[in-house]
Amino acid sequence: MTKRIRSKIARGSGELAILALLAEQPLYGFEIAKQIGERTGGTLQFTLASLYPLLYEMEKRGWVEGHWQTNHAGRDRRYYRLTPGGRRQLAPLRQEWRAFFQALDSLAGVSHA
Amino acid sequence: MRDWKELVKERLAVQGLPESDEEEVIAELAAHLEEAYEDARLRGLTEGIAVEAALQGVEDWHVLAANICRAKAQEDSMNHRTRSLWLPALVALLGASVSLMLTQFLGMQPHLVWIGRMGMTFYWPWLATLPFFGAVGAYLSQCAQGATRARLAAGLSPALIMLIVMCLILPWGLLIDGLDFFRLVSFGLGLANWVVIPGVALLVGALPFLKGHSSREGMPALE
Repeated sequence: MTKRIRSKIARGSGELAILALLAEQPLYGFEIAKQIGERTGGTLQFTLASLYPLLYEMEKRGWVEGHWQTNHAGRDRRYYRLTPGGRRQLAPLRQEWRAFFQALDSLAGVSHA
Repeated sequence: MRDWKELVKERLAVQGLPESDEEEVIAELAAHLEEAYEDARLRGLTEGIAVEAALQGVEDWHVLAANICRAKAQEDSMNHRTRSLWLPALVALLGASVSLMLTQFLGMQPHLVWIGRMGMTFYWPWLATLPFFGAVGAYLSQCAQGATRARLAAGLSPALIMLIVMCLILPWGLLIDGLDFFRLVSFGLGLANWVVIPGVALLVGALPFLKGHSSREGMPALE
């Protein structure tokens, strides 16, 4: 698999992971990375360098929006929440990834690997 | 207590961003590093190792700065729109216009259909080429990962431009010559002649390229 394809798969899966997570509740960057790592058993991991460019890109496209909020300890955090545009994006993205994995499974039997 | 904002400011050389954006990015990344550091401390790491653990998330600050600038820049969406809409639309429009000019230049006579006192002109050879140009517009838009609406607009651009031109002309015509039934029917026939029928021909060609979801990079492109 070339680096380009790997990078696109990583990016695409990252977008879906973030959209799916934010569909549940607004979260700030560190929490997004932490939850994705924990809930995928470490298979998907975001570093600071991989997370924020993707979040900013998604914000530019209008899928998520960020707003600053101060928590009870007086710490400022930038929370991201899904926009209606992002919510609309989620269903077809899920569908495409499902189709992608089914196609890969029928070709390479990855689900039984 | 470590000044995480200062640390980020020193390392992250984001250029070309508005100052408010830059400050916001620095504040957000600093908050992330601080959280990562505290998380590491809670896991029992010493202060030095916790700082290292927090900073591990960035291999190269220059690459990060460049990626953030690219992600935040508005230019990309402009370029994307140009690639996925304006350029394919222009190609389809030019193609259809040149095809009509050639049809006339080669002396092919239009087929006249009279409806009462008014006639409709059909350049059949030209109409026959329109599905091809509709397909070209939609295909180029699809290649540029245009949304379905952009592909449709690019494919139908020759008819849409004619619609705009006719809608601009109509009020002037009514203003100068006054409103009468004959003029309105004539406008309606013109609309059918130069917008609806060519639009349908263009749509026939564009249809195969309208299918499929178009998240720009949401899915891996394996082709």
